[in-house]
Formats: sequence, structure tokens, C-alpha cells
Amino acid sequence: MNTMNTGRIERIVKEALSIGRKVLVEPEAKEVLRLASFPVPRSKAVKDVAGAIDAAREIGFPVALKLISPDIIHKSDAGGVFLNIMDEKEIEEKWSRIILGIADDYPTALIEGFLVEEMVKKGAEVIIGCVRDEQFGPAVMFGIGGVTVELMKDVSFRLAPITREEAFEMMGEVKGFPILTGYRGQTVKDLDAIADALIKLGDIVGRVEGIKELEINPLIVHERGAVVADARAVLR
Amino acid sequence: MHKKNNLSAFFSPSSIAVVGASGSTGKISGVILESLRNSFRGAIYPVNPRYSEVMGLKCYPSIEAIGSPVDLAVYALPAEAIPEAVFNAGGIAKGAVVVSGGFAETGPAGAALEKALKEAARSTGTRVIGPNCMGIYDTVSGLDTFFIPRERVRRPGRGGLSIISQSGSFAVTAMDELATDGIGVARVVSYGNKADVDEADCLDFLAEDPETKAVAIYIESIEDGRRFIEAASRCSAVKPVMAVKVGKAASGISAARSHTGAIAGRYEIYRAAFKKAGIIELNGYEDFLVACKAFGLTTSAAGNRVMIITDGGGMGVNIADACEQMGLSVPGLPEEVEEELRAAFPSYYGIGNPLDLTGSATDESFAFALSKTMSGDFYDMVIVAALWGPPALTDNLPGMLAQKPGFTEKPIIACTPGGAYSSERIKLFHEAGLPAFLTPEAAVRAASVLSKRRGRPL
Repeated sequence: MNTMNTGRIERIVKEALSIGRKVLVEPEAKEVLRLASFPVPRSKAVKDVAGAIDAAREIGFPVALKLISPDIIHKSDAGGVFLNIMDEKEIEEKWSRIILGIADDYPTALIEGFLVEEMVKKGAEVIIGCVRDEQFGPAVMFGIGGVTVELMKDVSFRLAPITREEAFEMMGEVKGFPILTGYRGQTVKDLDAIADALIKLGDIVGRVEGIKELEINPLIVHERGAVVADARAVLR
Repeated sequence: MHKKNNLSAFFSPSSIAVVGASGSTGKISGVILESLRNSFRGAIYPVNPRYSEVMGLKCYPSIEAIGSPVDLAVYALPAEAIPEAVFNAGGIAKGAVVVSGGFAETGPAGAALEKALKEAARSTGTRVIGPNCMGIYDTVSGLDTFFIPRERVRRPGRGGLSIISQSGSFAVTAMDELATDGIGVARVVSYGNKADVDEADCLDFLAEDPETKAVAIYIESIEDGRRFIEAASRCSAVKPVMAVKVGKAASGISAARSHTGAIAGRYEIYRAAFKKAGIIELNGYEDFLVACKAFGLTTSAAGNRVMIITDGGGMGVNIADACEQMGLSVPGLPEEVEEELRAAFPSYYGIGNPLDLTGSATDESFAFALSKTMSGDFYDMVIVAALWGPPALTDNLPGMLAQKPGFTEKPIIACTPGGAYSSERIKLFHEAGLPAFLTPEAAVRAASVLSKRRGRPL
């Protein structure tokens, strides 16, 4: 049975708010999700290159290296994410690329550190999110990853709390749905895991008042199970 | 805030005071008084200290001077005078309809007046519809506070459709078109600024109202979303509820938000709310009108399988295309039905779905085709597209179809494309109780709306 540690989630949110934050950075957002029984990859937040190399050794290559900054919410777009790093030399190289890139493009951004993370096995990428509406309360969104969400707005919404049936309706409503069910020789993905994720995401925002938006992008879905590859939260 | 949800004063009043009454039909209060004299069966009390008689009715200097309680007071006074007038009528009038504008819609000074009106309502326990609204048009009680002269805007006759609307002009325009088309309504409520009575209150009332068979809502904004969903869910559980939401502008993409936040425009949330509440989503005025006509005359379809019967092959294929586009299915004829039709009809008829009765069509062939295809569980509704060219077709056709030989509940949607002669036939269908549309696309829209009630969450 999935459980949710609401008390500890609230504490994370409260601490972030108490230091004047408007967002949760990736490790915090992932901790929130882990406390709600979402599968989250192994990771370690570090402050320097030596720490990153130690963490990568401990986790085992290949790893992902990601910038942690409360000022940069879309960090892939900002050049703050490198995936599939194979060795120590590459960690050093990518580390400098991120630092230099951010210094050029976002000179005022606060860099809190880096996240070294186990690589998630390839799968279908979906976006799931929940946004709190002033009038109607939390609404859950589902979309297939990549350009279809941003460009085509191929997404579906339901008001939380949602039932399992509604979760499946949401998946079926997007045009990209066949990508999850074996389109062009792909394997059939774990739709139950997506439904669980949609239901739980709505529950978190429903219970934790301080969260305005919570998003998993992407949730990587396999034949069995789904893993949170990246996440962010906006507080209120 | 806890609200005692008793709107009976608005929907079954036996007495009405018109405060600010005027004998001039060029004035709002004059139009209202004239309408009430025409259709309201209860007691009417004009109130205005300047007159002793208005339109042949005794006029009272104040609402207190009437000397007995009234169910409803209609106020056509300047905004500044409203809060005090409503307060003074406390204990005399159970309900208030404030048609006057000049409140929150005009700015801070108006908002302060609206706050004072709310306070007057709360402290006296008076329920208020408005301000800045047209109020109520009710064919059951005969109440009509819509202050547009009847020669400008026709009033629909009695029917089962109820309309609730934030916009008075939207409601009144729809009413005019429905009246012109011969489609009736039960209750129409325009509540404007919703100082007290809002859509949730109305939905609670209409859910239990035996006169209301279907509800159409026009929405600009909803304040208490969850309460709306609860009320709409209760109503949609017992009768069809449909809504149009205007103001769909998408929110801009902002770097400070998640993708979800940026994509979640107001309209997406409203759509999600409609789904949650089992509300059929309508897209704009045209859709609203089609839905009103469809649900005003017939009932929900159990599914989305459409049978198409026509005497014009091309029109039939066009309708089939439109059906596919709108998510309706047009399944072929079951074998036994096909055999029966082949045996009964000449060999040059196009037997299939669409079924083409050709230029040799008669009233009887339409009725026969209807009974054979719609009995049994093969189709959920039928679109009958009658082109009026075939000389054997007569004005008896609508009545013959409306008898529904061999089946009962399934909706029949008529479509009569063409010019003056054809469009005049629409009225015949409506008189027979069948929704009818001039264009194939409008008929298919109606079919789509009728099919959407199934599968809603409880």
C-alpha cells in the first residue's frame, strides 16, 4: 500500500517558505515525491567537483549532473543538465560547462550546488502536473513528453481528487496516447503506474496547502513502473 | 457562509411589488409592469410615492404602505437608493430582484454599494437576484422582469428547458431565438453580479424543479468552484446540464511557472470542472442555441450511434462525414434490417447508412425507414434530413415521424437544408416536437450534444 508522509512534506515546504523561497529545487521536490511513495532515482546533492566525483563513484556511472538553483526552474533549457556522464573526467568537463554557461546567461542566478543522479533506464516520457486553482482547487494535468505538450498543448486536465477511472480517461484523451501502448513496435508501458502517479500528485497538492504547482517532467515510464526523472514545485 | 437555499419566492410568487414603478413603457419599470400585467397571475403592487395609480393599478407610496407581506419585490431604482430600499423591505418582501446597474461592475463606488446591498440582504434574511441583471422570465409562474419590450424580444412559450445566465443580453437573445423557433422554456434566470443568488443556488433549485427537464448555463466566472461543482453534480445526476464558458484567453507562458502552470489556462480548469460535474461543454453562442433547441425538444441519447435517413444521397454522406468529425459513429445497417428494407423499397433506393430514399421519397417511406432502423438496439438516435424537392413529400411528414413507430425514447433530429420553403418547414417539425435545423452541421452538433450525457461520473 502506498503511503504519504504529509507531515514531513509540509515541513519541507515550510522550511523553503521560511527562507523566502517561491519554489522547491529538484532535490526538495523529489524528496516530497519520495515521501509520497513515488519511485525516485538515487542521487546526492553536492557543493564541489570532488564531491560530485565521490557521489558518482558511490552511485556508479553513468550518472546525470544537474544544476540546483532556485532561480532557474527550467534548467535543461538553461544548459543546466547533462545526462549519461560516463567517467570522472567527463564530470569535471560538464561541471565547468554548466558553471560557465550559467555565469554568461544567468549571472545573478544563485547556484546552490549540483545533483549527481543515477541514470534512469530509457522509457516513454510523460509530464504530469498539478496546479492549484483559486476557484476550483487542485487540477491534475497529463501530457506525453517532448514537444507535444508545449507546442501542441496535447494535454488533459481533471480536478483532484481523481479516481483511477478518471486517470485512465486523462491518458486516453491525449492524441499521443498510442506512444504508451505499443505504437511502432514500442513496448506497452505501465499505465497503472501513470494512473497511480496522477492520483497521488493530486493528493499531495490537495493535502499540502503551501504547494501551488507540482510537476514531474519527465516521469519515465517503463513496462513495469515509472520513475521521477525530474520534478519542480512552485510554492504559494 | 451558510445559505438557506429557499428560492421559492422567486419561482412561485403569489404577489409582487414593483419598486420605482412607472407608467411609461419607455422606462424599465414600465416595461416590467406591462409584462407582469400581461402574464403574471398573482397580485401586483406598484410602489412609487409620486403616483397614486400606475397602469390602472393602485400605486403605493412605500413598500410598507402595501400593508401585507409580498413574496417578491422588483427594484428599478438608482443604485444609490437600492441598499436602503432592500433593508426597509426586510420582513415584507422575501425575495428581491434588483435589475438596476451601477454596482461592482462600475468600479469602487459601485462595489461599495454592492457590499451595502449584500449587508442589507444578510441582515434582513432577504434573498437577492442581481444587481445588474434582467431577473426572471418564468413560464410556470408568469413572472417576467426582463425589461425589454416584447415587440423587440419575443418570449418563449412553456417548455422544459431552463436557462441560467450571468449575462442578461445572452439569455434574452437566446430566448428571442427560441421563441421565434417555437421552442419553450420553463425558467430563465439572469443573475448579473450575483450579490446573493448565484448559479449554485439556481442549480440546487432546478435539480428539484419538476418543470425543468434540462438546464443550460452561461458562465463568465465562478467564484466558489467547489460549491458549483457539488450543485451541478447533483443537478446533472437527474437531468442534463450544459454550459458555455466565455472568456477563454489562455494564460501566457511565464518562466516562473511549471509547464503545468503555464498551460493550465482558466478554460482548461473550467473544462475539468465541467467534466467533474457531469456538465456538457458547449462552445459559444451557436452551440448554446443548438443545445437549447435539442434539449428543449428531446432528451439525451443513450450512446453515439447515429442513423441517417435522407432523400438526398449527397446530403446523407455530408452528414456522415460531419458525424465522424464530431466523434459520432455511423454504423452500417444490420443484416436483417437491410433485408427488410430491400424487400420493401424499390431497387434504386440507396440501402445502407446513410439510407437514401431518393427523389421518390414519400412521407410513408420516411416513417417506415424510421421504424425499421430505430426499433432494436442498433442506433441511439437518428438524423432525418428531408430535402423538400420530392413532390410526394407533404407537410404531414413531421407529425408522422414524431409518432415514433416502434420505439420511444430515442431522439429524432430533423434537418431541412434549403431556402425559404425548406426553412419554413422547420416550424412544422418543432410543432411536432422534433428539434430541426437548417444545416446538416447544426443537426450533427445537436446529435453530438445529445450523446454527451452518457459516461459521466457519478
